[in-house]
Amino acid sequence: MNCELAHKQIVTAAYEELAGELASELEGHLESCAECRQEREQLLAFKAFADAYPVADPSPNLVARARLRLDEALDALPPSRWYNRLGRQLWTGFTLLRPTPAAALLVLGATFGVLGGYRYALLHPVHAAAAVQSVAHTGVKAQPAAPLPDLANVAGISSVVRQSNSDIVDVRYNQLVPHQVQGSISDPSIRQLLTLASEKASSPGVRGDSVALLAAECRAGHGCQPSGIREALMVALRYDHSARVRQKALEGLEPYIGDDMRVRDAVLEAIMNDRDSSIRASAINLLEPVEADSSVRQVLYSVSNSDMNPQIRYVSRQVLGRVPEIQ
Amino acid sequence: MDEANPKGLSQNDATLQQERLQRRALEADLIREAQAGSREAFGALVRQYERQVLRLALHLTGSESDAEDIYQEAFLKAFRYIGNFRFECSFYTWIYRIVTNLCLDQMRRRKTRREDRAVIVDRDGGEIDLLASVSDSRAYSNPARELDRKLMGDKIRDAIAKLTPRERMVFELKHYQGLRLRVIGEMLNTTEETAKNTLFRATKKLRAQLAELHGA
Repeated sequence: MNCELAHKQIVTAAYEELAGELASELEGHLESCAECRQEREQLLAFKAFADAYPVADPSPNLVARARLRLDEALDALPPSRWYNRLGRQLWTGFTLLRPTPAAALLVLGATFGVLGGYRYALLHPVHAAAAVQSVAHTGVKAQPAAPLPDLANVAGISSVVRQSNSDIVDVRYNQLVPHQVQGSISDPSIRQLLTLASEKASSPGVRGDSVALLAAECRAGHGCQPSGIREALMVALRYDHSARVRQKALEGLEPYIGDDMRVRDAVLEAIMNDRDSSIRASAINLLEPVEADSSVRQVLYSVSNSDMNPQIRYVSRQVLGRVPEIQ
Repeated sequence: MDEANPKGLSQNDATLQQERLQRRALEADLIREAQAGSREAFGALVRQYERQVLRLALHLTGSESDAEDIYQEAFLKAFRYIGNFRFECSFYTWIYRIVTNLCLDQMRRRKTRREDRAVIVDRDGGEIDLLASVSDSRAYSNPARELDRKLMGDKIRDAIAKLTPRERMVFELKHYQGLRLRVIGEMLNTTEETAKNTLFRATKKLRAQLAELHGA
């Protein structure tokens, strides 16, 4: 074995891909070649160095966002016709057969199947009302005891109303037929619907109402888990188009700014990037002194010098000056 | 050796193999249901692999929004073409093939944007890396060591960015994702030998670049 080949085999061996015989041959070469031994040491050091760029796990926020977006895209796809499904099943079935006759049968079967189905569909049009069910029905009686359907089938949240002097929340959501459910705000199913409404409701009023309810729960410390309601509030603070919704979300996150770094990051981003100056001002005033968190100091310093709004610059300087722990 | 254990595996290995076969059988059922049009079955497949897909895309692109876009495109493609899946490889290899091709396309377009959630961009365009300035509250943390680690991480990331898309992909899949070269070859529609040579070139280039930086 020459050194050029040995250098390649060293890489393969370092990644545990070198077969037994070749590994022995390489070991034999390394015993007599100091240069290749050094090459191996350097490669192993490089491998350790490369681990300084770690592979991070995706955050629950990212996973949830990505999944939600995918669900919306899949919902928007047109439903497949029966002749498409039949074609798919024929295709799947024919893969079990030998290739040549399977291909021939497939071409024949798919051709006749699709053509036949297409002609049938032309001659017997499916009524639109049967194929696409309206989401605009109203006045469907609530069935308080009915179990909630799979949330993936919820088409939208049309209203969120809390009964006065009560912890009962009416959530009106649309599936194939609009539905309504009542339940306690501490009920996990109601919370799930409110979380969905905070992101998916088309009306900013509905989103605002649901975020307000969730924020109130968080401020009261009622089950505001990091991966549940808190996550929904951070998403609303970062991405909602309505300033009212973002303000409510910010208020709900206040109790967690000191202890939860992700909440703090979201609030710092709001200070730097939110379009609404009142939200930026509120966010600055909510910052608690976090010992040894220089990111807070850095952001406040940057904002105090460069924010376009003079009031924001003033408020951030005040906070920096008022709280020695931050300085 | 007995009939139930013809290869003479240890009990632990035999149990693991059986579990693996059971998982593959369950997955095969899910795939068939998804091929028949079941959204629930497809959703279950997505949930099985979504974290790995995001992890790979995030590490390659360095951007949450780019990783999200790749996730979206990959699973939409998988949904559209799941009827073409013929069980000739594992579903894991199949979905990874889609993801790696999307990542390669993206690297070639060089559209990577730095929108890491730990970095915020202020109005002047300056970046504030929040992670760099947040101290570690663990008792054994050493800020100087943490900073060194971060600087090393930046260097290796910059060096990796200079590889060709293919070299970068092979290095990522081998070094960071731990896949076998044979599987990497399948995913990239090439041979194991080609993947091996690409890995060799990638490590050689990276070492040369890092040596230059060290010398500088």
